[in-house]
Amino acid sequence: MFFLYNLERRVTLHPSYFGKNMHELVTGKLLKDVEGTCTGSYYIISIMDTFDISEGRILPGSGLAEFTVGYRAVVWRPFKGETVDAVVVSVNQHGFFAEAGPLRIFVSTHLIPQDIKWDPNATPPQFTNNEDTTIEVGTHVRVKILGTRAEVGELWAIGSIKEDYLGTLQV
Amino acid sequence: MSDPRDFNDAESEEEDDFNPAPADMSDDEVKGDAEDDEDDNEPNGKESTAARKRPITSQHNEDGDEDEDEGANEGNEGDQEEDEDDEEEDDDEDEIQGHRRKRRRDKRNAFFDIEAEVDDEDEPEDDEEAEAENEGFIEQEEPGDFGDAGRLESDRRHRELDLQRDRMNHEDLQKEAESFVRKYGHRRHARGMGDTSVVPQRLLLPSVDDPTIWGVRCKEGKEREVVYSITKRIQEKMGTKDELGITAAFERGGPNSIMKGLVYVEAYRQTDILQALDGMLNVYPRTKLLLVDIKEMPDLLRVQKTPTLEPGAWVQDITENGLDVRVRFIPRLDYGVRDESLSGTNADGKRKRPMMGPKPPQKLFSEVEARKRNPRNLTGNPQTNVWTYNGDQFEGGFLVKDIKIQHLVVNDVSPTLEEVTRFTSGGEDGVENIDLKSLAASLRDSNATTTYLPNDVVEVYEGEQKGVIGKATKVQADIVTLEVTEGELVGQTIDVPTKGLRKRFQLGDHVKVIGGSRYRDELGMVVKISEDRVTLLTDQTNTEITVFSKDLREASDIAGQGSLGQYSLLDLVQLDPTTVGCIVKVDRESLVVLDQNGDTRQIMPSQIANKLPKRKLAVAADRTGSEIRPDDVVKEYGGMGRQGKIIHIHRSYVFCHTHQTTENAGIFVSRVSSVSTISAKGGRINAASSGPDLDAMNPAKKLNPTGRGDMPPPRQVFGRDKLVGQTVTIRKGGWKGLLGRVKDTTDTHARVELHTKSKVISVPKTDLMVRDSVSGREIKNYENRRPGGPNGTPARPQERAAPDWNGGSRTPVTASSARTPAWKTPSGGAGGRTPAWGRGGDGGRTPAWADGSRTVNPYDGSRTAYGSGSRTPAWSSGGSKTPAHDFGSKTPAYGGSGGDAWGSKTPYGASAATPGANGSDSWGYTPGASGSSTAYDAPTPGASLLGAPTPGGLNAPTPGAYNAPTPGAPTPGGGWQSGWGAESAPTPAAAAPTPAASGGGYYGAPTPGAYTADTPGPRYTDDD
Repeated sequence: MFFLYNLERRVTLHPSYFGKNMHELVTGKLLKDVEGTCTGSYYIISIMDTFDISEGRILPGSGLAEFTVGYRAVVWRPFKGETVDAVVVSVNQHGFFAEAGPLRIFVSTHLIPQDIKWDPNATPPQFTNNEDTTIEVGTHVRVKILGTRAEVGELWAIGSIKEDYLGTLQV
Repeated sequence: MSDPRDFNDAESEEEDDFNPAPADMSDDEVKGDAEDDEDDNEPNGKESTAARKRPITSQHNEDGDEDEDEGANEGNEGDQEEDEDDEEEDDDEDEIQGHRRKRRRDKRNAFFDIEAEVDDEDEPEDDEEAEAENEGFIEQEEPGDFGDAGRLESDRRHRELDLQRDRMNHEDLQKEAESFVRKYGHRRHARGMGDTSVVPQRLLLPSVDDPTIWGVRCKEGKEREVVYSITKRIQEKMGTKDELGITAAFERGGPNSIMKGLVYVEAYRQTDILQALDGMLNVYPRTKLLLVDIKEMPDLLRVQKTPTLEPGAWVQDITENGLDVRVRFIPRLDYGVRDESLSGTNADGKRKRPMMGPKPPQKLFSEVEARKRNPRNLTGNPQTNVWTYNGDQFEGGFLVKDIKIQHLVVNDVSPTLEEVTRFTSGGEDGVENIDLKSLAASLRDSNATTTYLPNDVVEVYEGEQKGVIGKATKVQADIVTLEVTEGELVGQTIDVPTKGLRKRFQLGDHVKVIGGSRYRDELGMVVKISEDRVTLLTDQTNTEITVFSKDLREASDIAGQGSLGQYSLLDLVQLDPTTVGCIVKVDRESLVVLDQNGDTRQIMPSQIANKLPKRKLAVAADRTGSEIRPDDVVKEYGGMGRQGKIIHIHRSYVFCHTHQTTENAGIFVSRVSSVSTISAKGGRINAASSGPDLDAMNPAKKLNPTGRGDMPPPRQVFGRDKLVGQTVTIRKGGWKGLLGRVKDTTDTHARVELHTKSKVISVPKTDLMVRDSVSGREIKNYENRRPGGPNGTPARPQERAAPDWNGGSRTPVTASSARTPAWKTPSGGAGGRTPAWGRGGDGGRTPAWADGSRTVNPYDGSRTAYGSGSRTPAWSSGGSKTPAHDFGSKTPAYGGSGGDAWGSKTPYGASAATPGANGSDSWGYTPGASGSSTAYDAPTPGASLLGAPTPGGLNAPTPGAYNAPTPGAPTPGGGWQSGWGAESAPTPAAAAPTPAASGGGYYGAPTPGAYTADTPGPRYTDDD
C-alpha cells in the first residue's frame, strides 16, 4: 500500500559544495541517497518535497557539513494479505518468483492451486493446468502476500495464488 | 498343587492348634490361593502372600474368614465332615478345647463298647491311631471287666445316651457353622467388593513368622522363564517324596527394572531353595542369595506401570513370548572393515582389540558394498530385496532383528522427521507403511522436550477444550496457562496440560526451528501447515523443509544471518593454501562451502584455515578489460550465462550471487576473465574514482551549465598527420639517435629523412621522439597533439607517462617532476608566456595551468600547439594537491571572464593564451589536448583524466567520458585544428575579440593577437 510519509534524514555535504546553493545540493543529494531504497519495512518510492532543512553543522574531523532534512515521500509498504500484481521472473519446481516493483515474491507450489502443475519439459519450464493458465517467466500474476521478511536493503515476501481471483492475468 | 499348604501344615504346629472348623476353611483358602499363585505367578504375588498370612493373623481375631471369598467358603461347608476327620487325626493330643476333648472320650467309650454299632453313623474312626488308642483303653478296662449282664445293660444305655448327645452335639456344630456362614458369609459378601483397605494393611504385612524371601541370581531377561520352570518343577514333584519346600516364586524383571536378573523365591529355609532350583537353567542358586528384609518385602511387590509397546513407529512387531521385539532399523555397518582386525591375531597370539572410534554412520544396507567386502557371508534374494548378511536379515536396506525389550529405549525417543520419513519411504510402492499420525502421537507423548514460552500461540487439540486457540501467558512445568484468543471463550484464561497442546502457526509466519530437528536454527516462512507438520521456506537457501510444529517457534522479524562460530553465510574462507571457498550453507555443526572450482563440500569449521576478510576495494578486470568490483553486476560469458552480483573477488575468481537459482544459496563462482560487466555499482564509469564524486555536484558546474559538463568529442583526424615535417630523433633500433625529419606517415610508421645521410627510412612512430626544430629540445607528448596515429598507440612511453601526468592532478609530485623540465625550459617565446604562472596575479589563480597550455609551446611558443603545453597546467595544478584546487582554477570566479572566455574559448585555441579567459580557453582550445582544460569541462574527474594528453590511451577504456563533451561546446575539433592552421584562421577571429580586450600586456587576457601570431599554422608553414 502506498503512503505519504514524513521522514527525516541527515545529509552530509562535502566542503567543496559550500555556497549559496547548498540547499539545492542537499536536496539533490537526498534524492540521490534515498529514492528507491528500502528501509526495513517499506520502500521509498519518491520524494515529494523537502522542508525544514536545518543549518549545516560541520562534522569535526572530516569537514563535511551535516544537514537534517525533513521530507515527504511516497512510500510503499507491502502488507500481509495485500493483493498485488507482479511479473514472474523465475520458475522452478518449488514454485515461482515474481516481482512487484522492487519486491520479490515467492509463490510456493503449496500455494498454487492443485491443478496447476509443474511441467519441467515445457520450454521454458512452466506451471500449467493445461488449460487457460500457464505460469512462466514474464507472466503477469495477481498474488496475495502471505508474509514479508526484511533483509538488509530489500524486502521479501511469500505469496499465494490459491484463492479466487488470484493467478494469471489475462493480457 | 497343595505343596505349599502341606508344607505349611507340617511346619507350623502352632497354627494347627487353632484348627477348629473355621480354620479349615481358611486352610482351604490358602490352598486355593497357592494354586492361583502358581498359575499366574503375576506380580500380584503380593496378594497371595498377603492372603496366606491372613488366616494366620486373623484367627486371633476370630474374624478369620472375612477375607475369604464366598466360593471357597461354600465349598468348605461341603467338605466339612471330611475335614473334621483330618482335624481329629491332628488334634488327638489337643487339650485346649474342653468339649471336644470330652466328646472324644465319649467316642472312645462308645467305640470301645459298641464298635460295630456306631461305626457307620458316627464319623469314621478307622484310623490306625485311633485303634491304637482304643486298644489302650481296652487294656485299661480289662482288669475291671467282670462281665455281668446288668453292667452290660447300663452300659448300653450309657452308650445310647452318649450317642444321642453326640448327635446333638454334631448338629449343634453344624448349625453353628451354618450360623457362622450366615453371619459372616453375608458380611463378607457385603463388604467383599474389594474393600480390603478396611483391614489395616499393617496386619497384612509379613512378619518374622512368615517364610522369608530370597533373591536368586538368574540370567537377565530369563526371569520369567525361570519362574515358569519353577512352577513346572513344583507340579512335577508334587505328591512325591521330595516335594519342593518353597512357597512362592516371582520375578520383577523388566527392561528398566533394577531388579532384573533376579528371581525371588519364598521359602522357610535357604536349603529348600537350593534344592528346588538345583540344576535349573538360567538361574544360579549357588551364588550368594540375597535375603530380602522383611520391611522390604512389600516394596518388592509394588506394581509399576510398565510402558506398553505398540507396533508402529519404531517397533515392528512383538514376538509370542512378549520379551522380544522385532525391530526394523537402519544398521550401522562397516561391511567388515573392522571385522578384519577382529579376526586377525597378533604375533603374540592375542586378539587385537576391535578398533575404537566413531560408530560407522547409519546407512541403509547396500548389497553392493557387502558383496564387495564380504561376498561369502551374503545370501539373499535380489527380487524381494531380502538379504542375509553375517547372520542378520536385511529387508529393503533395513536390518530386521529380534531384540529384547529391555535393550530398547522406549521413552523419550525423539526421532527427527527426516528419520521418520526414511522409514516411511521404505515402502516399495511408495505407500506409507508407517502411520505418521501414530508416530506423531507417540512422539507427542515424549514431548518432554517441547517447550512453550509465554506468547506462543497454541492450540488445544485434545481433551475438553479441544479447538481452543490462545496465547500462552504462563508456563509452569507441564501446565500452560493460556489466554483464549479465538472462539467462544475469548478473553478467558485456562490451564491446559502440555500433552494436549500444540503450537499454532499461520501461513506466512516467520519461524525458527528449535529443538531436536536436523534443521535446528533454520529460519523461514511457513508455506504449508497440515496437522502438526509445518512446511517452511528457509531464508538462507530458499528451500522448503518440513518439521513438526513443536520444533518451531516464532522468529523475530530480523532474520539473523546464519553463522557458525566466526563463520557466517557468504563468507570467503581459505580451505587450503590454494583453495578458497564461499560459505553457502551453515548447519548446526558444519558448513557447506562452494570452492573456487565450483565444487561444494561440507566441512567442519575446524577444517577452515582462515577467513578472508572482505575486500571492498578488490578490483579485477573482466573479459573486456573493464574494471569490476564487488557489488557490480556481471554476467558470465558463455557457459551458463548466469548473471549475478559480485560478492567476492579472489585472485582470478569471482563469487557472485544470483536470485535466479536457489542452488548453493544462489552463489556461483566464475573466472574474472569469463564475466563481463552488466552494470557497475553506482553507475561508476571509471574505475579510478573512489571517494566522493566531487564533480557531480560541483556548484561551479551547475552555475555554468552550458556545455560545461561536456567533454569534447573525440578528435577527428582531419588533414595530414601533424608529425609530418617535424624534426625527430629515433629512439631505437639501428638508427637510434639519428636526427631527421618526417616526410610521410602511415598509421604506425613514419618515413624519416635522416639529416646525416640522405636516406629515408621507415620507423615505427613509437620509436620517434619529436624535437624542436630550433632548439632541439624534446617535445613530450607530442603524440597527444597529433591527431592521427598516437591515439591508438599508447605503447609509446611518453604517452604512457601522460596518464600519470594527468593523474598528476592527483599525484602531482611525480607528474610534475616529470614534466617540469618541459615547462621550465620554455623556449624563449614560450618562456615569455609561461610567466603566467610565475606572474603574481595569475599565479595566484593557479593560472599555471592555463599558462601551461601556453607554455607548452616550447615548440611554437605560446601556441601550445603541442599537447605538451596543455600538460603543463596539470603540472601547475599539481602544485595544489587537492583536486578542489583544480576546480578552483576552473571556478567561474577565476574564469571571471567566464562568458567571455567562452566566447574567446572559441576554437581559437589562441584564447588559451589569455589567462583571463583561460578557463574557457583551455576549454575551447584544449579539445582533447590539454588535460587541464578537459578536466575542467568534464563533469567527472574521470573526464579530467581523459582530458589528459594521452587521449589515445584514455579513450579506449572510457570512451563515454570522452565523448561526453557536448558538441555544443566550441567544437574542439575546430579549435584544435584551428590551432594547427588553416582552420585556425576562422577561429582566431573569434578569439580575437576577447584577447583583444585583454591586450598583450595583461596576462589574463593573453593577447590573442600575439597568440594568433603564434598560431602554429604559420609556424608550420615556416617550418615546412
